Amino acid sequence: MNELFHKLDRRHFLKASASATLAAVASGEARLLAQSKPKATADTVILLWMAGGMAQTETFDPKRYTPFEPGIESKAVLSTFPQIDTAVDNIKLTAGLERIARVMDRGALVRSHRVGDLGFILHARHQYHWHTGYTPPQTVAAPHIGAMIARTLGPKNPDMPAFIDVGQNLEIGAESDSLKAFHTAGFLGTEYGPFFIPRSSDAMTAVQPPPHMNDARFRARYANYRALMEASPVAREGSDYQRESLRRSIENAHRLLNSPAAKAFDLSLESKETVDEYNTGQFGLGCLLARRLAEAGARFVEVTTEYIPFRFWDTHESGHQRAAAMKETIDRPIARLILDLEERGLLDRTLVVMASEFGRDAMIEGKPDRTVKDQVDVPERMTEIKHYGMHRHFTEAGSVLLFGGGIKKGFLYGETAPERPCRIVKEPVTIEDLHATIFQAMGIAADTSYLVEKRPFYVTKDGKGVPVVELFA
Amino acid sequence: LQGLKIEETMPRYFFALLAAAVALPAAGEPEFTHDIQPLLAAKCGACHSGAKPQAGLAVHTRDELMKGGASGPAIVPGNGASSLIVMRVSGANSARMPPTGDPLTTEQIETLRRWIDGGAKVAAAAAQYPAASLSLAAPELPQAPALWSLNPIDRIVYAYFERWKTELPAVVSDAQFARRVYLDLWGLSPAPGELTAFLATAADGKRTALVERLLADNQLYGQHWISFWNDLLRNDEGVIYHGGRASITKWLLNALESNKRYDAFVSELLNPTADGGAEGFLAGVNWRGDVSASQTPPMQAAMNSAQVFLGANLKCAACHDSFVSRWKLRQTYGLASFFSEGPMKLVRCDVELEERAEPRFLFPELGEVAIDATLAERRQAAARMFTAPENGRFARTVMNRLWKQLLGRGIVEPVDDMDAEPWSRELLDWLAADFVQNGYDLKRTMRLIATSRAYQLPADAGVDAPYRFRGPRVRRLSAEQFVDGISQVTGEWRVLIPRTAGAGSYAREWRFKSSPLTRALGRPIRDQVYTERETKATTLQALEMVNGRELSRMLWRGARKMLGQLPAAPAPLMDSGNLGGGALRALARKPLGGARRLHLLIEDMESYDPKRVVAGWADAYLYRADGSRVALATLAADRKFTVGSIQTRDEPAEVMMAGFPSQLVFDLEDKGFIEFEAKAAVQAQPSAVGILPNLRFFVFTEEPVPDSLVAVTGEPPVAAPARARTTSELIDGIWMRAYGRRPSVQEVAAAERIAGRPVSAAGLEDLLWSVFLSAEYQFIP
Repeated sequence: MNELFHKLDRRHFLKASASATLAAVASGEARLLAQSKPKATADTVILLWMAGGMAQTETFDPKRYTPFEPGIESKAVLSTFPQIDTAVDNIKLTAGLERIARVMDRGALVRSHRVGDLGFILHARHQYHWHTGYTPPQTVAAPHIGAMIARTLGPKNPDMPAFIDVGQNLEIGAESDSLKAFHTAGFLGTEYGPFFIPRSSDAMTAVQPPPHMNDARFRARYANYRALMEASPVAREGSDYQRESLRRSIENAHRLLNSPAAKAFDLSLESKETVDEYNTGQFGLGCLLARRLAEAGARFVEVTTEYIPFRFWDTHESGHQRAAAMKETIDRPIARLILDLEERGLLDRTLVVMASEFGRDAMIEGKPDRTVKDQVDVPERMTEIKHYGMHRHFTEAGSVLLFGGGIKKGFLYGETAPERPCRIVKEPVTIEDLHATIFQAMGIAADTSYLVEKRPFYVTKDGKGVPVVELFA
Repeated sequence: LQGLKIEETMPRYFFALLAAAVALPAAGEPEFTHDIQPLLAAKCGACHSGAKPQAGLAVHTRDELMKGGASGPAIVPGNGASSLIVMRVSGANSARMPPTGDPLTTEQIETLRRWIDGGAKVAAAAAQYPAASLSLAAPELPQAPALWSLNPIDRIVYAYFERWKTELPAVVSDAQFARRVYLDLWGLSPAPGELTAFLATAADGKRTALVERLLADNQLYGQHWISFWNDLLRNDEGVIYHGGRASITKWLLNALESNKRYDAFVSELLNPTADGGAEGFLAGVNWRGDVSASQTPPMQAAMNSAQVFLGANLKCAACHDSFVSRWKLRQTYGLASFFSEGPMKLVRCDVELEERAEPRFLFPELGEVAIDATLAERRQAAARMFTAPENGRFARTVMNRLWKQLLGRGIVEPVDDMDAEPWSRELLDWLAADFVQNGYDLKRTMRLIATSRAYQLPADAGVDAPYRFRGPRVRRLSAEQFVDGISQVTGEWRVLIPRTAGAGSYAREWRFKSSPLTRALGRPIRDQVYTERETKATTLQALEMVNGRELSRMLWRGARKMLGQLPAAPAPLMDSGNLGGGALRALARKPLGGARRLHLLIEDMESYDPKRVVAGWADAYLYRADGSRVALATLAADRKFTVGSIQTRDEPAEVMMAGFPSQLVFDLEDKGFIEFEAKAAVQAQPSAVGILPNLRFFVFTEEPVPDSLVAVTGEPPVAAPARARTTSELIDGIWMRAYGRRPSVQEVAAAERIAGRPVSAAGLEDLLWSVFLSAEYQFIP
């Protein structure tokens, strides 16, 4: 307990809080409506987001492999990588994912994730849809799934922000505002919004004093602040409640920055061997950061391969080489993350989910039976290596990995057809159902809802998500 | 008169409440609006709603439950156990409801039963005010003692206090009044000189004179109130959604500065003329791809205009008949039809109905329009009906919004539901009638409110439920006020560099894109209409203030500005102006003037897709006195660059590139160069791909200051404080500008300790931080 809290008359504060709650209710603030509570199998979610549209046939859903030869027919190409074995007999992946292949016996692979079909493809709009469960535009600001979990469960460790978002810079030009639209707690209130770490290599700066300020000055500044407030003759500015909550927020911020939990953001505390193992770039370091945050009691962490139009997983031209490079980016850190969590005894209660806004195909733009405006020209024959790969956005099927948090081990769910258009032939999983599965693991019913503008807003669209029970051990 | 106790009399109004079975439930007791209605809407609403509810039973209101359906009343107040609805949801002696989906939980059934046992109460706040006639009549003003009879608002408020036996508080001090009214009308604190003069004068009516003076400054008024309207009209600068969103900033600023009549203001938004600058409101926010029928541009126009201008929430009724209000799907489509190019068919929950929408106003008594009217005629008709003098709701809605802005809480809450009961019907109707009679003059109403005693009462901590007016609510500075206030204290303002070349200008925060700091402080991203800002203090917000980069940068610059230690930003040697794709612009040979370094910058001026911009420096040469020249590309820079060919509009160019945006620094010391020339080159963009480069190339001979690359013309929004000569003058200035008062002796001592002796830039930064993080700065009591 610090001196500020000693000085506070507790009874007085509780009274003020109670009246503030009443005021909040009267003002129509989002309010949880009572719902059933499933038994939680996880306390923490780590979402590994493959932003830009991960080509499923180049990664977790191998199809017939066609090596490159100048002049091959584009429509003959389904996978540009040969398939490899994994630790599980009936699960094959594509070459370049050897390390994840070795840990497939720790989790489940869903090959039948069907995302929304929103017409003319727009990455940010599909990402919005996936992250909130709702299609933009919406009449109220829809919360990010991390905010829903933060709001419903609160932080696991009170010194750690409940929702941490790693790896995405929000200022990327044209689609910036579309990204901001879902990186938010929406109507739930900024309190539940993401704590941003745009670059995992700089994570420590998020919990350090501002630049040009050393620790001693930072501590002195806060002590001086309190002394100055003590000296103020204006004892009562703002209502008691507002003044106290402002003071408390500043106190909380300092407590977080000085807490042992803050050390979780410091990647320099890891051995060189570990850092090297994870360090395939910002995403790899993000996985290491996620592990440290999970160890320190984070509730929801998203680590994304950054979304920048035409970069990273947004593979168009030179799709093959770029997919190979992206696999190199994710393979080692994801596998190591799973093993590290397991070794620390955390995997059982940590749900790791890897997903993307849609899949890809060399030919089809949108859905097989409802193709939309082509955004990329694909020649009939691949004459140059840059033509080789998956250039178009495919919303019919994508792959999802789930590890830990009560999920079955070495389990394959769903199936797509061996030939184009490689439709889902078995066990489709919609965004609503995948979210319901995540919520279920966290002990949150899919029809949990919050009251906004007098109407219920559900954590899965219209409360209709159905958890995929087969995925649970 | 002050502190007068009113005799105990039971207000008549109270009986009216009882008669309508609208009593306050005791704490913990379930109540309809919050506890029951959402539950029934979620569990039963799918079938028991709409024009033909199942078994004739609708469940949206207490009245509907009382009326019941084919099997009789659904509830028997006072007897939960024998109420039909409880029996059916628990499946006691017939098939359980709902027939599909999860049944109600035991707790939910228990809540329902307890609600009925307790008399099936509806909280007073949920009482409806549809009884108000649409047209307005100014209520007769009650009598009040002299002090409370100068302003019509006060006569009504006096009677209200009398009715509720509220103690009459004294008005706040001159200093507190001044800070409040400056922040409310200009968004800024009073300048110390103005505040001192105001406090010193003993003139009668000085508060009224101050309000009038503030309202008379069209520019400062407009620069503050535009944020409020931007939230409402979801207008923003530099914000893009695929499908576009046209900015209405220029039109809006002009409308505020000229105090455009509010009926004309709304007419222009709803029936915009081509090139009038107001077209963006109806266009809405549209994303690329398929859009649900409830979110098409005409439907957005209907929902937004009804919400903003009439306080009617049609969001539910854009998909189906609302479960929580009186609005029906057909009405939303009726309104949308005024804004739709072609005919619309009703779509209920994504299923198209065999019903064609017809243009019909929410209040048909205000007129109609021919079904075959052109879009222009329909928009014109909509503008007329929204703004008709007989449409009292139009005036009531905006009066309520102004009241909330100035006093922190609406006469009706929530402000978007003008069907809810106002705490004073008389006040709302009098304001609205006065507004209509006097030419829809927003400033007239603001003057009336700001000069009333009601506005000048001490702030109310806000502890009642239900609400009773006692004075303004304590408010928190908006994000824009917070940042502008810092600039006011330090004299350091951000520079806005226009997207279309030209010099920069000092600007207030609203002009810039939102940032992590301002978003944390409640500035919305405006993809929806926002009629209320979040004002809660949160840990994430505090983290922005405690170690966020923006505030710390503002304070770093601000403290140095105050101490005269901020290095003046050098002027560029060369400035290409704004360039688009394919440009090749020669920057004429210029003398270097003995410069030791050359800084080459390529800056982004909001290209559509900056990550794909390719640009570089072509034909860059340094000249010696003997006329010989050296290609800059042969020298080493502070970082790596590549030389390659890009295609400009007319010709290929060999360019030096270091990514984009980029900065290259060359050391010229002792190399004998006297002149420099170069060309700015931007890759021509492939026609099919939307990169839309917008770049500006700069050459500096001294370290450039980010944010201050271009010359700044014009004055800062308010005059910068004169440089303090002494430490106590410095501290005094901070206190006067931030708090509107002088520091106490203890505060001076503490402040001097923090700022250092002599004052250091770092010490001053920390002192400023403490001041701006204080409750006294952040709240308007």
